[in-house]
Amino acid sequence: MMISDNATSLFVLACSCGVVSPNLDYKDHAITTNRSPTSASGQHLMNLRSQFCHVVWFVAIVLVSATNGAAAESLPSFNNDVIPVLTRFGCNTGTCHGKLAGQNGFRLSLRGYAPDLDFETISREARGRRINLASPENSLLIRKATGRVPHGGGQRFEAGSVAERVLVDWIAAGAHGATNDEPRPRRIEVEPTAATLPIGASQPLRVTAVYDNGQRRDVTWLTQFASSDSGMLDVSDIGRVKALRNGEAVVRATFHGQVEIATVTIPYDATTDSQWYAARNNAIDDHVFAKLASLRIEPSHLCDDATFMRRAHLDAIGTLPTPVEVQTFLADGRADKRSRVVDELLKRPEFIDFWALQLGDLLQNRKERDHDVRGSKGVRSMHQWLRQQLAAGRSWRDIARAVLLAEGPCDQNPAVGYYIVTVGEKSAEQSEVADSVAQAFLGTRIGCARCHNHPLEKYTQDDFYHFAGFFSRVALDRKKPEEAATQLVVGTRHVLNLRRQIVQQQQKLVELKAVGGDSKLIDEATKRVADLEKQIDAARNSTVEIRQPRTGQNLQPRPLDRATLEIATGEDPRIPLVRWMTDPSNEYFSGAMVNRLWRHFLGVGLVEPVDDLRATNPPSNRELWKMLNREFVTSDYDLRHMMRLIMNSRIYQLSSETRPANSRDNRFYSHFYARRLPAEVLLDAICAATGEPEEFAGYPLGVRAIQIPDPTTDSYFLTLFGRSERTTACACERSGDVTLPQLLHLQNGDGMVQKLKSPTGRLTKLLAKQPDNGRVIEQLYLSTLSRPPTDEERDVITGLLQDGDRDESLQDVFWALLNSKEFAFQH
Amino acid sequence: MFDLHFRHNRRNFLRVGGLTSLGLGLPGLLQSQADADTKSRRAKSVILVYLGGGLSHHDSFDTKPDAIAEIRGKYQPIKSNVSGLMVSELLPMMSRAMDKVCLHRGGSHNNDHHETATNWVMSGRFGSAFGDWPAMGAVAAHESGFPGTLPPYVAVPRNPSFTWELGKSAFLGGRYESFKAGDPNQKGFRVRDMSQSEPINEVRSRRRQSLLQAVDGLARRIEGNDQLTAYGQFQRRATEMVLSGEARDAFAIDKERDKLRDRYGRTTFGQSCLLARRLVERGVTFVTVNSGGWDHHSKIWDGLERMLPDFDQGFSALVEDMHQRGLLDDTLVVAMGEFGRTPKINKDAGRDHWAPAASLLFTGAGVKPGRVIGATDKDGSQVTDSPIRPADVAYTVLRSLGINPRKQLRTPDGRPVEILDEGEVIEALYG
Repeated sequence: MMISDNATSLFVLACSCGVVSPNLDYKDHAITTNRSPTSASGQHLMNLRSQFCHVVWFVAIVLVSATNGAAAESLPSFNNDVIPVLTRFGCNTGTCHGKLAGQNGFRLSLRGYAPDLDFETISREARGRRINLASPENSLLIRKATGRVPHGGGQRFEAGSVAERVLVDWIAAGAHGATNDEPRPRRIEVEPTAATLPIGASQPLRVTAVYDNGQRRDVTWLTQFASSDSGMLDVSDIGRVKALRNGEAVVRATFHGQVEIATVTIPYDATTDSQWYAARNNAIDDHVFAKLASLRIEPSHLCDDATFMRRAHLDAIGTLPTPVEVQTFLADGRADKRSRVVDELLKRPEFIDFWALQLGDLLQNRKERDHDVRGSKGVRSMHQWLRQQLAAGRSWRDIARAVLLAEGPCDQNPAVGYYIVTVGEKSAEQSEVADSVAQAFLGTRIGCARCHNHPLEKYTQDDFYHFAGFFSRVALDRKKPEEAATQLVVGTRHVLNLRRQIVQQQQKLVELKAVGGDSKLIDEATKRVADLEKQIDAARNSTVEIRQPRTGQNLQPRPLDRATLEIATGEDPRIPLVRWMTDPSNEYFSGAMVNRLWRHFLGVGLVEPVDDLRATNPPSNRELWKMLNREFVTSDYDLRHMMRLIMNSRIYQLSSETRPANSRDNRFYSHFYARRLPAEVLLDAICAATGEPEEFAGYPLGVRAIQIPDPTTDSYFLTLFGRSERTTACACERSGDVTLPQLLHLQNGDGMVQKLKSPTGRLTKLLAKQPDNGRVIEQLYLSTLSRPPTDEERDVITGLLQDGDRDESLQDVFWALLNSKEFAFQH
Repeated sequence: MFDLHFRHNRRNFLRVGGLTSLGLGLPGLLQSQADADTKSRRAKSVILVYLGGGLSHHDSFDTKPDAIAEIRGKYQPIKSNVSGLMVSELLPMMSRAMDKVCLHRGGSHNNDHHETATNWVMSGRFGSAFGDWPAMGAVAAHESGFPGTLPPYVAVPRNPSFTWELGKSAFLGGRYESFKAGDPNQKGFRVRDMSQSEPINEVRSRRRQSLLQAVDGLARRIEGNDQLTAYGQFQRRATEMVLSGEARDAFAIDKERDKLRDRYGRTTFGQSCLLARRLVERGVTFVTVNSGGWDHHSKIWDGLERMLPDFDQGFSALVEDMHQRGLLDDTLVVAMGEFGRTPKINKDAGRDHWAPAASLLFTGAGVKPGRVIGATDKDGSQVTDSPIRPADVAYTVLRSLGINPRKQLRTPDGRPVEILDEGEVIEALYG
């Protein structure tokens, strides 16, 4: 039907140009999908095209299709030729005609996600002036793109180029829209998939598209290439890569919605020494050292004991070790003392505090935005629930399952809170729940596909709504917290409505019966209840589907890998979803958590951004990735097991101090990457060092920042240092940014000054009982930097404190320690 | 017209580059060739007076005396010093300053959610409620860098905030967030953390810096770590700010004459306007004066009678003071909220969110004052003339600062994005 409409309009347009006379053949041809030049109607078309065009097109086909191309046997197709040309030459990017508002009145779908719309736009909009069937070369589309008339985007391709010929020939052939029987690309192949190049060397890439009818076509010239690190690896428009800097980078090739990558390794010039990689603790070291060896990067040395002690405490329990703990550890002569500390830390009560905070961020445990129905109480109860899961040592799979399948009243099942925040007042499928689940549990960002196809991945808008469909039977019966608990009901909002009506009818019945009411009315109400129940049954047993707003199609739930999942009649669609998610073969589920844990301890995710797992954003160390995922799955998704494995590796215990040859590495773990402490940990560290707790409104004195359940708890410090507001599932909610007001606060903040000088604080007590300045300085070092000062530091400090008031002098030392990078950073 | 500037910039770049050896570098050349019109529109600074929650246009700058009572509202229009221009009787001081501002009654968009709309109007780009796009001030900071001791982007008293903070720097990162000045109307106002309650003397201050050097060897043994580098830079900058008289002086509102402080009004809003003037006078690029609480869903008369007089006094003082000091030559001042309010008064005697119509005020940096642009229909419900969208306002603001609003920025994940993907200069402002 749509095709017929288009054809009619083109026909009319063509008429208005005064070239083509009304002819049923022409019209008929456009309706059929058969475009073979040998068909009767096609013959007519051939007459419309110059012989020259035909020859050029033929040559073009030979040129661009090394093999038997998809487009080779037929005339240029809108979907398979025109859209790829427009995409390849950047016409439909988000900064040109592909943006939502279009550009100068011409709007295309972003990278061609909606070819049907684009066809309409190109052929019908602007009174069809973009296309000139009578003189294809003079179509506005062509004149603009070749820069023959002024074009804001400049010349996209040259007159006489193959790209131009494709468009001209498509127009000359009648400018038809897509048909259903055209082959579609299944995948693309990039050759080579991996290469090792010295700096300055080049290598061409070749891209082949494989169509669903088995055809193969060289599409290198229609492919868009992008480098994951353009300073390291340059890639030209025609797919020639050039090595610029040492390291490893990935080229992403995109053609017609299909994406594939090629990895290019550019090793350093250093001569490696096998001794560099000799000392190893576990399999993590094997894989990281293998990667470093392939890049010829020298690892830093093992960090000293004090650094390890501080590092392990801060990462595992978000808490500084006490001076006594540090001294005891330093004095311990046992060879396995580091792994003993790891085991102890994983059993500490602070471990529960700290990881409930991490999971609270991940599961967005906060008050709802607009009309909160859970209140602080609800947030606290979910926090408590998370603590219980961690204390019981439940696996990540079980925790995830409990959250994702939560139902019932939120006071009885606090995990329902996840849906209260992510669904809110909307219907589940229109809410953020699909985005949130994908990002939090699968480490995948599908949010862009809500409005258009994913720019860097194969996810389409349909994929998004297929996925959102799993939540179409989640309905929240929202109640003000003072009235009753909000509950999650499995069913549609329609079912929820029906249930409310049943309750009303039943109340009516009770009242009627109580007063011996009219039997006719009682019958009516009884019948109504039965009828409503029937309706609920029907709704429950109906096919689960969700409407794709752009196409208006009803889509059934389908996971992101497009596998087919059976949903039994009346079954909560979340159940098969969770089964699919937690299947051992689902690397997105295990990988999302593995990557978060790895990043938590090592500072940089194997995949970055940490919650952006996709085929085109591969882990920086594939072998390590596979090994860690395997470990996680076989350990039954045991969080502590993974932490133990990571913390016991030599890689985790490398020094953060760089060597000349590894200072530029920030992806392959040649040294420990120093980073600013998270807001809560830094504040707690300041409190621990100064011996003065922070007061939080609504909490008893002594409650630590890492124990606060609610991110809306008022705290200037925590906001300033970027705690997560938990408004989205994005890991970027927590900010490690360094800003000017942070430094002002650490240097001059009233809170800081008070803690430093407090009469009940550490410094005042030390000054009173310890007459020896050297001893005081040592204690201050141990309580801030978790190490004794070096001899050199001792000397310099003593030199600086020659004159002046003792209290003030030592206050200044303490101030300097609290303001040092060594204190504020995990290193 | 504005495009000329950029076309020149782009296309003649090579030729221009060749002239540098003659002592005429690119900036000089651009300046000398910039057409006079463009130059007069050039702002060194911007003050954005943000009326968070959404000011009722019916009861302020777009009165509808002929509409029915439920729409007209309680207040009578009064004459202003611009012939034919009436404003609400709650704005007596503004009525005498309308010759110094340009009123635009054509503000219009289609989102009536506070967070989403605020992020939209503050950035010029439509996105989610969470702030996907950097606010204009953050863009200005990003483009101008940190030229002096003062931060380039300051919010007085703080950023707009409903359920969470808005007008943030989004993907540009934390270093381009606004610097929050706090409430200058507070007794003994001082900027948080910029001066100590018990100041330390020069000797100790120097000793602290030496000690910091002595104890902070770690960073010297680590190379190639951006965070550590940034930490060091801001550490020095923070020290400078505290020690230099310049920064302290900029925020020292008590140095203003009492009479002038009174003229602005001894209110948070009034003193915020005054502080904004002090800051742009000293070279801050972008100041947001944030005034929240305009979300009058119920008892709107009580709300407006409490708040509009503060606005009337503070904003009129700002405009007159800036005018007298000649600061309007190169400062653009904009007053707006995220939307207007419903024409019809609701059952709670309030007005609700209304995105299709709102009034905005512009002055300075070439804006031709004493005029009204745009109009709404008889009920103040739809814009019937010269509608402007959030992107147009942002385009005009950024352009006046000499920032190309179509410039491509790069998000941390490598996506190229334009600062603004739509919008154009509101030409009518310049007459």
